Order: sequence, then structure tokens, then C-alpha cells
Amino acid sequence: MPRARAHRRRLWLAGIAAGLGGLLPSMALADAPPPNLDFNRDVAPLLVNNCLACHSGSDPAGALDLTRRAGATTGGDGGPALVAGKPDESILLDRVRDGEMPPEGKGKRLAGEEVDRLARWIAAGAAWPEDRVLSPYEFTTEKRAGLDWWSLRPPVRPTVPASAHTAWVRNSIDSFIAQALEKKELEPSPEADRATLLRRAKFDLVGLPPSPEEVDEFLADAAPDAYERLIERLLASSHYGERWGRHWLDVVRFGETDGYETNKPRANAWPYRDYVIRALNEDRPWPRFILEQLAGDQAGEDVATGFLVGGTHDVVGIQNIEGQLQQRANDLDDMLSATATSFLGVSAGCARCHDHKFDPITQRDYHALQAIFAGVRHGERDLKPDDYDERLREEPDVRKALAAVERRLLDFEPLARVGGPADAPHRAAVHPLGNVDRFSPTAARFVRFTVSATNQSEPCVDELEIYTAESSPRNVALASAGAKATASGVFADGASALHKLEHINDGRFGNGQSWISSQVGGGWVAIELPEPVEIDRVHWARDREAKFADRLATKYKIEAALTPGDWRVVATGDDRRPYTADAKPETLSGETVPSERAAEFKSLVAERERLAARLPSAGMRKVYAGTFEQPKETHRLHRGDPMQPREEVTAGSIAALGNAFSLESDTPEHERRLALARWIGDARNPLTARVLVNRLWHYHFGRGLVATPSNLGFHGGHPSHPELLDWLATELIERGWSVKAMHRLIMLSATYRQASRPVERAAAVDAGNHLLWRYPARRLEAEPIRDAILRASGRLVLDVGGPGYDAFESNNNYVHVYQPRQSFGPAEWRRMVYQLKPRVVQDATFGEFDCPDASQVAPRRNVSTTALQALNLLNSPFMVEQTREFAERVRTEAGENVSAQARRAFRLALAREPDQEELARAVTLAEAHGVQALCRALYNASEFVYVD
Amino acid sequence: MTQRAHPLSHAGRRLLDRRGFLGDAAASLGAIALAGLLEQNGLLAAESATGSIPPAINPAAPLGARTPHFAPRAKQVLMIFCSGACSHLDTWDYKPELQKRDGQPMPGFEKLVTFQGPSGNLARSPYEFRPRGQCGKHCSDLLPNLAELADEMCFIHSLTAKSNTHGPGENQMSTGFTIEGFPSIGAWVSYALGSECDNLPAFVAIPDTRGVPQTGPANWSSGFLPAVFQGTSFNSQRPILNLAVPSEIAPAADTAARDFARLLNDRHLARHAGDSELAARIASYELAAKLQLSAPEVGDLSRESAATADMYGVNDANPLLAGFARNCLLARRLLERGVRFVQLFNGAYAMGEGVGNWDGHKQLKSDYDRHGPILDKPAAALLSDLKARGMLRDTLVVWTTEFGRMPVFQVGAKGRDHNPEGFTVWLAGAGVKRATSYGATDEFGYRAVENVSTIYDLHATILHLLGLDHRRLTFTHNGAERRLTDVHGHVIGDVLA
Repeated sequence: MPRARAHRRRLWLAGIAAGLGGLLPSMALADAPPPNLDFNRDVAPLLVNNCLACHSGSDPAGALDLTRRAGATTGGDGGPALVAGKPDESILLDRVRDGEMPPEGKGKRLAGEEVDRLARWIAAGAAWPEDRVLSPYEFTTEKRAGLDWWSLRPPVRPTVPASAHTAWVRNSIDSFIAQALEKKELEPSPEADRATLLRRAKFDLVGLPPSPEEVDEFLADAAPDAYERLIERLLASSHYGERWGRHWLDVVRFGETDGYETNKPRANAWPYRDYVIRALNEDRPWPRFILEQLAGDQAGEDVATGFLVGGTHDVVGIQNIEGQLQQRANDLDDMLSATATSFLGVSAGCARCHDHKFDPITQRDYHALQAIFAGVRHGERDLKPDDYDERLREEPDVRKALAAVERRLLDFEPLARVGGPADAPHRAAVHPLGNVDRFSPTAARFVRFTVSATNQSEPCVDELEIYTAESSPRNVALASAGAKATASGVFADGASALHKLEHINDGRFGNGQSWISSQVGGGWVAIELPEPVEIDRVHWARDREAKFADRLATKYKIEAALTPGDWRVVATGDDRRPYTADAKPETLSGETVPSERAAEFKSLVAERERLAARLPSAGMRKVYAGTFEQPKETHRLHRGDPMQPREEVTAGSIAALGNAFSLESDTPEHERRLALARWIGDARNPLTARVLVNRLWHYHFGRGLVATPSNLGFHGGHPSHPELLDWLATELIERGWSVKAMHRLIMLSATYRQASRPVERAAAVDAGNHLLWRYPARRLEAEPIRDAILRASGRLVLDVGGPGYDAFESNNNYVHVYQPRQSFGPAEWRRMVYQLKPRVVQDATFGEFDCPDASQVAPRRNVSTTALQALNLLNSPFMVEQTREFAERVRTEAGENVSAQARRAFRLALAREPDQEELARAVTLAEAHGVQALCRALYNASEFVYVD
Repeated sequence: MTQRAHPLSHAGRRLLDRRGFLGDAAASLGAIALAGLLEQNGLLAAESATGSIPPAINPAAPLGARTPHFAPRAKQVLMIFCSGACSHLDTWDYKPELQKRDGQPMPGFEKLVTFQGPSGNLARSPYEFRPRGQCGKHCSDLLPNLAELADEMCFIHSLTAKSNTHGPGENQMSTGFTIEGFPSIGAWVSYALGSECDNLPAFVAIPDTRGVPQTGPANWSSGFLPAVFQGTSFNSQRPILNLAVPSEIAPAADTAARDFARLLNDRHLARHAGDSELAARIASYELAAKLQLSAPEVGDLSRESAATADMYGVNDANPLLAGFARNCLLARRLLERGVRFVQLFNGAYAMGEGVGNWDGHKQLKSDYDRHGPILDKPAAALLSDLKARGMLRDTLVVWTTEFGRMPVFQVGAKGRDHNPEGFTVWLAGAGVKRATSYGATDEFGYRAVENVSTIYDLHATILHLLGLDHRRLTFTHNGAERRLTDVHGHVIGDVLA
């Protein structure tokens, strides 16, 4: 968009937002309508609401564009639609008068008065100010939201209403709630008992049940502010971030595998999860939290940009351009959709192929957002250590010292033994990361590497290095040094850019620059050196970048020759230990070192490690937080098809949200993300604060004031308490965007402290409890259920942060295979937020509890009840193990007395004592079948998985 | 830990004896609670907005049978999914011109680059095509037994897919969307219709005995629908996860513990009178008990006659064929017991490209020589058996794969690359025309050119046969009214009987 036009558009939108349909000063032009008809007031709404759904945009129906005067007078396929002063010649009027327009299914027939009004307007000269371009979005209609949609207007702080329930009300929240209840003649519920409040607050804020001791302590605390202090203590707990971080991870679809067919784990995605937990624990102001996730690389929080690439990513290489562009477009769609739904509660993704059907978001807006992210790519980023500059300065010296140590160490590498006894392997097994074959110095002009078996498929070698036997060894295999490569064949006849013969000696490592044979399980590659030279070792690897472990040569030989054909075998893999998939890489095992040199060897290895650790690269930390590059132009894609680019769209905001910005085409990549972050976090943004307080409300009460926490648009429903929502939004901003301040406010309210017991009369009026006449009891999510089970058994490991545990057996298959673990230990007894989060696949016991699989955003979890949940809690290996642990704990803590055991088990599982009947039945059960049977029953109790 | 299936469910039997629980619970819930649940799922709102028809879900029995939108032609679906992209050119789509021009460049597409790279020349099928059945439909020798059933089949030769990659391709065939995270067709159907069968899941996915397909559980996921509608996955080798009571728990202890849990749960429900979720939770433990009885029964293939077992190939010397045969037999037994939707997979991906599935990039002939027989005899037996038992009157059979393959070989290989531009699926059974071919690809089988159809159309047609209007079967997720067919899809009227 040219700047001047963009500027005008901004002015327009600002005008519209300020006073919809109102008079604008620029209207007072020469062709102003007669005093009794005003274009903006009397005509524009008719056109906008009845015509523009089809007659606007890049491809208006019948080529008739009714958004501007020129479009109407020029007309479309049927000729001029509007002839000023001549109603009878204006097709537009003709069609609406006949009822032909709007067509069936697109709108209602215009009322007689409306048709007359149009006729009068045309007769009077069809005054339509030159600059006035109608937007189909100006007004909300029955079918779609316009710019006047409630959530697009800035929140206005309402007066806190007066309520008749003065004794009940504790803070302003309660006044709003009580007022709404009073309108329906409903009463709020009384406060829940102390034990219930404790259990509710603990699960709510930290996701764990209270221990029996905590219950005793809280019930014994007679101070009037006992509850307030409880809330403060919980808010200060480091486990708060684990509970609420998990909520946020749902919202942003954070997963730790790629999804799609390979679905491989991302080993370094977890730092984003830790960041979220930390940022919430520290109560970062929300705009800061937004900025860090969109542009943490510019704000000292590098790992936070894991947000951008937290979604799925199809890693399968596609050779045709359509497929590649589609994959890329999907990645960008994921980034912008996640951003728009999580922070703004708008479904911008729906405007990918055409203007949004229900909200005022254009396809152009979509692509302006896409341009923000156009330079972001999936992948790991190297994060520099704090002393990086110092390391860089030292690097030349360190490298020199390291090379010297490595040369000395190579003397210890056992020589390959050709033709020795097969039963005495003395060298390390082959490993995909790299292998050294050392042999006595030999003169060579040709070297050949022949594979006769692999662990899978055709063999792959990413680089073959041949070193000279001299004090400063050189790799003479390099093509850049004049060497030439030949081979028995090349994968796909060299058609794949990744796997070509020239990659064998191009000095570049990794699967993307490798040679693959044309033959399953075999093939050879040979290097002709520029001149005969003494060599004494060959280095080769499958993938030095450690991404692939298949296609590894497991049987091979290395030959040297001075003249063609005169091959001598210098090394084979036969004297290596047999290949196993889980072996560690070891080029130097040290086991063949003679004892008199053992000390020397040991100190050299230590020195090598010390030096290697000082390299700049060694201090780098890989984090799956995306990579950034200056992008090319972004174009609007016709029908969202990457093969049909149209006009350029530069980075910018969603116009309808106001305070709009639009950047130049060459704006640096990071500036785009910063601009977006500032725009979202601006207090003038009508959505950001509302979306956040609504989310908090959703998690506290199981249902947001707007029931769709990530969609405050047309299909998102209306708030049950609009004034309360706006009051909370403005309160949030006033309190410096502090999330914890909002928790405090909500949890100290009388509304939150209500009992959850049913009230028949209230249920008859408001069965869904939308008005909150009681606290809504509900089932726990998968994570707190698992955590609570471990808590009751006493096995919960509360280590904070770091790589997650894997609920599945490990494997290196190209298509990752997810085989659930059958037994668990302390590593897996951590809180479930630390479970490595695969996509599609679910935890074998707890996934069934409506756990989102991180493929799509999950702003609200379902609560469904299934027979498989019952089977999992009854019979899964995890539960059987934990039941055993729980019983063991009960026996240890309660001693031999069965009654004491039963009471202890109840207190640990349900945070209460059994009543008499329960105790009697529990004792009978435990006496007949052991306390383990009782523990199993308690784990399956509804009360265990529900919070009152 | 190993789990042994022992005579399950003392607890189950006792619970089952306590008759009428579901009825009681449902009666006490009343319409108000139901309205609450539906409203929570946005269903009531949806109806007023666009004419969606919310399924009448009883919260205490969410899998109870429901009425479709209009009179259905089919009540159950069997979807046979050949994972890895089974070549239409070597099975069902006869192209004499391709046979003739073997070895020549494909006119107009000499420089084509597809999924794995540049295309080579046209390659005839290594399998002969000949007329089959009464209708004389030309099918290849790769699948002779299935081919002989051509009179039962309604071929759609003009299907197109949106992706040329297995993951997104499988996603689209099973969920309608190429991207991850959407509900599978089986989940949509269970959500819409529930099940006639009250002691087995409404939707069962039967993975190949070799492993799961490329995108695994995404094929039977409930996506953002409630978990109760997801496919339960098991096959003749691997029972339902956590179904059996672990051997270390004695039957009497199992019963006693479950009885005590029931006591606690009844008392808890009494404290929350009218809470439909809690009632549903108690009911779910009863359903679990029923499942512990019925799932081993349905999986017990020894109850079949020797003749039936032989017809399927259950005891075949080829363990892969025998494994698929057992899965086919299991599929029939599930359908017999009223399971609404059975998704039966042929092929798995864990073993790599072409080895365990239909992804014949490099050595199509040797791959397909291996896979053809595994599919052919058992699947043909299944179709014949369904017909012989009169089950095709109510059961719609859909044979499908994620996309087709190229008429050309890949450069440097003797196999075909991915081709989403045109491929074949077939329908059989309830409500579809017999011995019919609909749509066509071009003379080489590269692109659909006649009655070009989409996966949306296929899904719309399947739903239509089940009495469901694909435009009115919706679920509101994050404020967007989602459909199996997104915003697309037309029922293919020409295939309806």
C-alpha cells in the first residue's frame, strides 16, 4: 500500500472506531446531500449491510464494486449500477426493488422505506463523497462482526454496581456477580468449608493436593487472614508456574516433537517450557511476556521465542516447489494463528484464503501478519554463553593447543588390524557420528572405501577425510585440494540435491551434504589424490550433525593404491566390536593403551576436554527457538494458494483493532516482531487485557466470562458479565498488568470462595451455573491427576526445570515409534508438565483424560468421561506401580493397625478423614485384600479426581 | 510387566447384574443438565447460527445411539486404509495408453519434479490387467481375489488429494485436514451417531500387525472433540491397552476394590445430586467392566469355523498375511456386534519406505509382490463374508489410501513417486451402486480429468450414506464452527444406489 493511502486508511479506521456511522468533517463537500439525507447516516449502512458482502474485495461479484462511488457509477458486468439523478436508470435500485438483490440466502429483502430512501438519494444526485470508501466491516450484521463489535471497542471502566448482598460481597468482583444473580432472583452460595477451600486453592494455583499436615495446619490457623496468607504462600510457590505454565502451553500449542509422519522429538525445545514457568513465577508484566515470546532475541530472553516455533513442522523434504511453498506457508500460518489466538483472541488464520467470514479481518491483514513472521524459520538456534567474546579472543590459541593434543592422542588410536582373528575385536564399534581408521603410513595415490553391509538401506557417508602422515596432517581428500571422487553409484542418480557424489569431499558435514550409494547395503566411493602422498588414517561418518543414525556402514574395507587397480587393504571394520544401535561414540577407548603410558593418555584426554570446553562453540547452547533471516517480499496469495501470489503486502497489524501500523517492505526482520509485540501489548489494544483476564477467569472457574478464551470474535459468544470483564481488563492495566494481582483479586472474592453444593432452585434457572451461584466443581486435568497420584504415594519428585522425561521407550527410527514405558522410576516421577510432550501420541495412562496433543491450540480442554479412563486408572502399569508405592507408604506411616492405615490412606488421597461407614468398609476391604486394594479404590474415586 | 487376560471381571459381572443403572441415572439428570453440556460445547449456539444439527448427546451415555439427520442408507462403515499410497495404476485404474507408451517421456510433462525429485519416463504396470466379474472391469493381477469382486465395487477413479506427503496425506484422508489435530472421520461419526453396541467402543481402529500407519493415532484421534469419541485402537495381536486386570491383582481383590470405589462414588454423587458428569463417571466404570468381557470375546477368533479361518488365511504360512487375515476377521466380528466405524489398516511405516507399506518408490514390483498377497486374500474374504452374511445391506465398505502414484518411474529407480493429482478409491455395500466406475484420470493416469473429486466429496458422500448432512455436522472449537469437510465437499450423487 502506498504510504499516503495507508495513512488515509488509518485515519478512516480511527474515525470509525471513534464514532461509528457518525459525521465526519471531510463530508462537507460540494456535492453534499440535501439536508434531510445524509450519506453516512442514511445510505452507507444500507449498502454496507446489504450489498458489500459480495460487491467488495479483490474479486467483487459481477465485477461490481460498491465500496466507492466510482465503482458504483462505472458498474460491473451489467453496466453502471448507479446513475446520479436518475433512479430509473440505476440498476442498483432496480434490483433491490425487484427483490432480486440481495439474492436468496445472502440477505433479507430491503424494506419499502429503505428502497424509497435509496431512490430519493439517487434522485437527489447520489451524493457520495469522493474519498469515502465503504468497508464491508463497518457495522456488525446478523451474519458477521463489524468494526463496532463489542470486543473491538476499547474497554470502558464501568462503575461498580451496588448490591443488596452487602454482607456477602468481599470485593468488586462480587458486586458484579451479585448484581447479575439478583436480576434472576438468585442467591450466591455461602462460603465453602476451610478444608475444601484449601484443597481448591492448592489444586488451582499449584496443581497439587494438600498433605494431611497442611490440612491440619490450615484448619488450626485461627487468624482471620489465614486464607489470605494461604493464597500469598501459594502465589509465591515455585510450583505456581508449573501449574499455570501448563495452561499457557496448551494455549500456544507447545509440543516437543515435529508432528506429521516422522514426529521426531525436538531435544532442545524444553527451555521454552522452563521460560514460561519462570516468567509466570516472576510475574512478568504481560506486555513484557508478550514481547519476549515474539522477540526475546531482542530482549535478553532468547529461549522465549520458542513460542514462535512451538507448533508442528513437516520436516519431510519435498522436491517439487508447490509442496515446499505449501509447507512454508503452513509454518507461517501456524505462527501467526498462534499469536493471534493466544494474545488477541482473534482467529486470524480464518483469513488465509479469503477475507474472514465473521470478523473484520481481511486477507490483506492476514498477509500483513504473515510478513511479520516471514523471516522466522523452524529450527534450533545457537545461544551464546555470557563469556562469548572472551572465548572468541582466545579461540586461535585454544585451537592450536587442541590440535597439538589431538595429534598426540592419535598415537593411541589402535591401528586397524587387517586379517586378524575375527573373535578378538579391539576397536570401537562403528558409530554414525564418526569413525577413525588408523593404519601404518603408506604411500597412496588412490583410496577406496567399500561398504558391504549397513544397519539399514543404502550406505551414506557425509564426508571422507584422508590424512597425511606428517606432523601437521592435512586432509588431502578435499576436492578443493585437487582430489577427485568416483563411486559405484549415487542415490537417485544424483537427482537429490542432498545426496551427491561431490558431497563426499566438499569439506561439509551432515546428511544434507552427503553421498549415498545407489545400492542397498553396499557400494564404494574412491578418491584420486592430486599426487602420491604418505597417509596414515581415514575419518568418515554417517552424519556428523547427529540427526541420522540409519544408512551406517557396518561392514567395510579401506584400500589404498599407487597405480590404478593395485589395491591394498589398509583397514576393515572386522576388527571393530559389533555394531549396536545404542552404543556411545568412542574413537579412543584407551583400552589398548599400554600401562606405562596410561597416565599420559589420561592427562591428554583431560586436557583435550578442558580445551574443547573453552571453544566458543562449546559454550553454545542449542535451543529450539527458531532462526531469523531477512525475508523476501510477502505477497497476498490468491485463495491462499502459494502458487498464485498477487500484490505485495508489507508487515503490519490487523486494521480493525485500531492503533494500526504498517511497515516498509525492507523493515529489518526483528523490527517487525518488535512492532507487533508493542502493538499487542499497548494498553490501547482493545483485546489484549480482555483476553488475558478472561483466560484467568476460565482457569479459575472452568469457564471464561466469554466461553471461548481464544476467540472473542463473532463466533466467540458474548460475555456472561460484560461489565465485569471490562472492569477486570481495566483493573489489570491499572495494576501494571500483574497476573498474580488478578489471581489474588479473584481468589479473595466471595464468588470464588463459594461452596459448590447444588441448589435446586438455582439449577432450575441457570443449570450451567453461568451466573456463578456456586463454585463449579469439576474434574482435574490429566496433569494434576498424575501429580496427585504421585503425591499420595509419596513418590513425586519435585525437581524444577531441565529436559523432560520420556513416557515412551527411546528409538531412532526415521518415523519415530512411540512404545509406552512399562515401568517407571524417579526420572519419570516428576510432575507431568516435565513430560516430553509429543504430538499426536498421548501418555498411555493420562492422555485419555482429554489431554490436548499440542497439534492445535487448546484454549479450553474438554471434560469427557470414558471407559478407557477407568481401565487406565485401574490397570495401567503406572497405576499398578503407584498403588503398590501408595500402600507401602501407608504401611510405613500408619503401622500395622488396619484402621490407622485406612485413615491415613484417606487423608493422603482425599485430604480428609473417612466417615464411620467408609472406615468400616475400608477396614473390611483392607483386611480381606490388603491395604493395596484400598489404595487402588481411592485412586479410582471420583472425589480423588474432582475438585469441589 | 506383562498383563495376562484372566477371567476378567468378577466386578464386571456384579456390576452388570445391577441392572438399570444407566436408565436411573439418565432419568435423574433431566433435560437441564443435558442442555448445560450441549451449551458448553457451543452446540445450541451453533444451531441458531447456521443450521447445524447438534447430536442429542445424553451425558450419562455419550455413546448411546442417536438419530441421523435423515434416513440413512448405511448404518456402519468399514474403511480399509492402505497406508503408504497404494498405486492406482497397478491395481484398479487400467491405462492401455500407459502400457503402450512404456519407456517414453510423458508428453507435456517432460521436466516434471514430484515429491522425491525429477520424473523419468512412463512405466507400464508390471501387472497384467484383465476383465473381471460380470461387469468386465479391468483390474490387475496384483489383487486377483479382490478383482473378482469387481461387481460389488463402485470405483471413484478421479479422487484428488491436497498433499503429496504421507503425513499430511493420511491426515487429510482420515480427518479432512492436512494439518495436525483435527477429529478423524470415525470420531465425527461416533460423535454424530453414537453406537448401537453398548459393550464395545463406537469406533475401532485396527492397526496392521506390523505397526501403526505413518501418522499413527492421528488417523483415529478425536482431535478437539471430546475424548469419548476417539477411536479405540487394538488388533488381533494387541488387545486394548490396560484392558486386562494385571496378574498381580487377584480377581477377588479386583472386585472388592472396585466395589469400594463404587461405594465412594455413589456417596460422592449423592453429595452432588444431579451432577451428570459424576453419574457418567460411574457409568464409565460399568462400561469398562462390560468391555472387559466383550473385547476378549470379540477378539477370540477361535470361535470361527475352520472354513472361515481358511477363507481369510488366518493360518497362512506367511505371518504377515495371516496377521492381516486375523485383523480382517476381527473387523467382521466387530461390525457384527454393531460397532459403528471400523478403520482397518493395511501397511505400517515403522519399517521404512516401501518395506512395510505401499510406498513403492524404488522397487515397485518387488515391494508390491510382497504386499499384494497380504492384502488380497484376507480383504477379499472379508468383503465376500460380509456379503454372504447379508451385512453389506447395512455396512458401507470404503477401500482407500492417502494418494496415488505417478505413471512415470522416478529417475534412477524402478518405482513410482507420490501423486495426489488423481487416484482411485472404491466403495461397496450399503447405499452405493455396484459394478460402477465414476470419474477418470487422463490417458496415463496422472491427473483426474473427468468428474474430478476431492477427499471432501468422499467424506461428504460417506456421511450422506450414514444419513448425515456434512454441512450440518459441526463442532465449535475455539469459536470456529468446524466440519469434517471444512468449507468444501459435495455428495457424489452418481455413486449412490
